[in-house]
Amino acid sequence: MSAANEPFYLRYYSGHSGRFGHEFLEFDFRVLGDGRSATARYANNSNYRNDSLIRKEMCVSSLVIDEIKRIIKDSEIMKEDDEKWPTKNKDGKQELEIRLGNDHISFETAKIGSINDVTDSADPEGLRVFYYLVQDLKALVFSLIALHFKIKPI
Amino acid sequence: MGDDMEVDDAPLSPQQEGGAASGGANSAKVAAMQTHTKATAVRSIEGWIIMVTNVHEEADEEAIQDKFGEFGEIKNLHLNLDRRSGYVKGYALIEYPTLEEARAAIDGAHETKLLDQTIQVDFAFVRPPPGKTSGRDGNGRGGGGGGRNGPGNRNRGGRSRSRSPVGRDD
Repeated sequence: MSAANEPFYLRYYSGHSGRFGHEFLEFDFRVLGDGRSATARYANNSNYRNDSLIRKEMCVSSLVIDEIKRIIKDSEIMKEDDEKWPTKNKDGKQELEIRLGNDHISFETAKIGSINDVTDSADPEGLRVFYYLVQDLKALVFSLIALHFKIKPI
Repeated sequence: MGDDMEVDDAPLSPQQEGGAASGGANSAKVAAMQTHTKATAVRSIEGWIIMVTNVHEEADEEAIQDKFGEFGEIKNLHLNLDRRSGYVKGYALIEYPTLEEARAAIDGAHETKLLDQTIQVDFAFVRPPPGKTSGRDGNGRGGGGGGRNGPGNRNRGGRSRSRSPVGRDD
């Protein structure tokens, strides 16, 4: 329940436009007024083989938000800077925006295919933090969606 | 498939604290649905989901099963791993078929020890606060409820995705 009322917002986007149109995955968490809950939204548009846009919205408890904040703080992503990260390209881009207390980050970088892309980059340590944080956040979001809606999000 | 979260129970407007004028059975149920911060839990498609935090990094599914199996039948368990270390990330999500089992787990395991660490336990999903059903921050994004049926709504002609709340927050 640490600093329950500190501002918190999280958004992640990964997508590209190509022969199957605009394909993307996006989710965000936004704490609602009284801090007792937050809305979480999820969208996944893949036009490959079947044209389907999945959109889900749910409201999560403060314990879930506390855990997301904990994961973010432990990662120390708020200390990073995307200045030296690979820029978006024809394969698309990723965006990560987090507001946590007085800190705010808004990162944009290319999609990361594998850890090699991280190792070979100009800022491997910073990009590694991003790479693993994104995977951990996605795992949490996919679990929440799978349990709440009984669908496989991807 | 509908986009919206289905709420299986008949809406009983529990947000009016304690269900005011309603009968005893109802207010008992409302009380059972309260999170630690007094939000109201919602049922998911097949049951009630609770979250456990501060889970020891070396906990395994068996340890979770041993502790939480005593409160009811665990239908699903997600014990995600830290992608970097390979150890448990620190939380578990557990599904019980009934509200009673979920409530019992929250009451029985919150602030107790699991592998020497004090865990927190609460419902994972709640109802939106009253008056905030879909709109947010009064800026009319409509992200929540209506007006988002067509994909064209959002991603034609340059992405017009929701902007961040920067500078809008109070």
